[in-house]
Amino acid sequence: MQNDDFLTATSMALRTILHLPDPRLRRQAAPVTEVTPAIRQLIADMAATMYAAPGVGLAAIQVDEPVRVVVIDVSEERNALLVLINPEIIATDGEQTLEEGCLSVPGIYEPVTRAAHVKIRARDRDGAPFELAADGLLATCIQHEIDHLDGRLFVDRLSRLKQGRIRKKLEKQSRLAM
Amino acid sequence: MTQVGAHNRYLDAALEEVVGARPVPARAAALIQELSYGVLRWYHQLAAVARLLLEKPLGPKDRDVEALLLVGLYQLRHMRVARHAAVSETVAAAARLRKPWGKNLINACLREYLRHPERAQREIENNPAAALSHPAWLLEELRRSWPREWEAVARANNERPPLVLRVNLRKNSRAEYLARLAAAGLDAAPTTLSDAGVILPQPAPVGRLPGFADGCVSVQDEAAQLAAILLDARPGERVLDACAAPGGKAAHILERAPGPAELMALEADPARAGLIGQNLARLGLKALVVVGDAGAAQSWWDGRPFDRILLDAPCSATGVIRRHPDIKLRRQPADIPRLIQAQARLLDGLWPLLRRGGKLLYVTCSILPGENEDQLRAFRDRRPDAAESALTGGWGRARALGRQTLPGERGMDGFYYGCLKKS
Repeated sequence: MQNDDFLTATSMALRTILHLPDPRLRRQAAPVTEVTPAIRQLIADMAATMYAAPGVGLAAIQVDEPVRVVVIDVSEERNALLVLINPEIIATDGEQTLEEGCLSVPGIYEPVTRAAHVKIRARDRDGAPFELAADGLLATCIQHEIDHLDGRLFVDRLSRLKQGRIRKKLEKQSRLAM
Repeated sequence: MTQVGAHNRYLDAALEEVVGARPVPARAAALIQELSYGVLRWYHQLAAVARLLLEKPLGPKDRDVEALLLVGLYQLRHMRVARHAAVSETVAAAARLRKPWGKNLINACLREYLRHPERAQREIENNPAAALSHPAWLLEELRRSWPREWEAVARANNERPPLVLRVNLRKNSRAEYLARLAAAGLDAAPTTLSDAGVILPQPAPVGRLPGFADGCVSVQDEAAQLAAILLDARPGERVLDACAAPGGKAAHILERAPGPAELMALEADPARAGLIGQNLARLGLKALVVVGDAGAAQSWWDGRPFDRILLDAPCSATGVIRRHPDIKLRRQPADIPRLIQAQARLLDGLWPLLRRGGKLLYVTCSILPGENEDQLRAFRDRRPDAAESALTGGWGRARALGRQTLPGERGMDGFYYGCLKKS
C-alpha cells in the first residue's frame, strides 16, 4: 500500500495545532517550489497529526508552516490519504450545505454552504501535477482546506451573529482551560 | 486615460497593464508615462479648454476621442514638442480609433487652439478650477481647511515631486549609499528630518538605483518616513502595523536599529498583503504578515496586547496628489464622510489591543482636518483612557492635536501625525 509505505518511510512527529484567534492562522501560505526532504517530513507529520486529532483534513498553516500543503482523509477506514501541494480550484458547480468543524476551532460545528462539485489541479507528494474532480464531503473538505491556505477559516463564512456567539464560546473555553 | 476617467481605475495599475503587457521600448514607455501623468495632473484645465473648443460636448462613447484631444493639448501647452509634430502625431493616433470624424475633429480643435491661444487663456483665468486644475469641490474643501495656504497647496499638487528614497540602514549607511548614487551619476542629497532619507531632484527609474533589487534602498517620501521615527519602537516591544500594505512603513520600523522584538503587519486585502511579503523579502526583513480587518480584531488577535500601534488609516490621499494626480479624478465628495467613518471604526477597534501605557500613532496622507485632528480629538474625547502624547520637532505645523505637513513644504508630501497614549 502506497499510503503505508509513505507513512512508515519517515519518522513522524505530532505537531501543535494553532487555534483561533491565533494571528498565524491569518497568513497567506506560499506556494511550494520544490518537494524537499523538509516538505516530505512536514507531510508525514501533518498526516500523523490529522489522524491523531482525529480530523478529516489539515492545512500546513494550522501547524504553523505557511506553505501550500494540505492532507485529507475522508474515508471511514482512515486509509485513503490525499496529499495536495499547491492546490487550485479550476471549476466549481452546484451548492451543498454540510456541517463543518475545524481542528483550529475546537468544539464548534456549523453548517456551511459551498460548491457541491469542484475540480482541482494540484501536485502530489512527489511534486507530480494531477487533476481531481470531487463532490460530497471531499469537495467541502478540499474547499475548507484551500481557504486555510489563504488565511480563511470556516467561521468567516458564518453570519456575524454566529461569529459573535462562537467568539464568546471560545473565550469561555480558554478561560476554563487556564 | 479613458480607463482612469471613465472606469475609476488607479493610474499606476492601468499603466502597468497597458505598458507592462506588451514589449514597449523604454523611451516610448517613458513618453506614455509622461503623457498620462501630465494629462491627469492638468486634466481640469485641459478639459476646460477642450469644452471651449468643442462646439458640443462628446458623449460617453467617445471618451477615447476626448482623451486624445487632451493629450494633444497637453503636448502643446506643457511639453517641448514642435507644434506641427504635436498636432500631426495626435491626429495620426486618432486615425487608429477608427472614428474618421474624430480625426477631423481633433485636427480642427488643435488648430483652432493654436490660432487663438488667448481665448483659452481667458477661459482659464476666469475659472479657478481650471486655473488650479482641481475639481471645484476639492478646491472648496482646501479653501475651508486652509484659508491662507489653499492656493499654494493646489499649486504644489500640480508640481512634479522629487524622488525620495529610504536607505535600508541594516544593509548600508546613508553616506555609503550616497556615494553609490554619486558613482552611478545620480544627483542626490540627504534629507533633513529622516536619518535614512535621500532626495533626488531628478527622478530616475527604480531600475537605475544601485542595489534596489538587493534591498539596499526603497522609494518613500520623507513625510512617510516620519512614521517609523515617531513610532519609536523599542527592543522587547510588540508592535502592530495596521493597514500595512504595501509594507513601506513596516519595513522602516524593522530597518531601524535595534528594532522591536515582534512586528505584526496587518492588511485586510489578501492581494495587497502579498505585496508586504514581497517587499520585506527584498529588504531581508521578517514580520508576521496577517490578513485581517483592523476593525474586527476577534478574528485574528490572540489577546496579547501591543506596546505600539501604527494606524496608517485609509484616507482621501489629498496630501499626495502631486504623486498620484489621478486622485483628483477618482475622489468624489461623498468619499470623505465614508472615509471618516471608516477611520473612526479602525481607531475604536484597535484601541482595546493597546496595553496601558502604550502608544497609538495615527497617520494619514490627507490634509483635511476632518480625517486628521478632528478625527483624533473626537476619539480622545470619547475614550477616557486616551490622552495626547505630544509630537515634538520643528517639522510641519502644530494642530489642535498632532502635526501636519502640507504638500511641497520642505519638499515633502502632505501627511498628518497624531499620537495617543493609553492610561
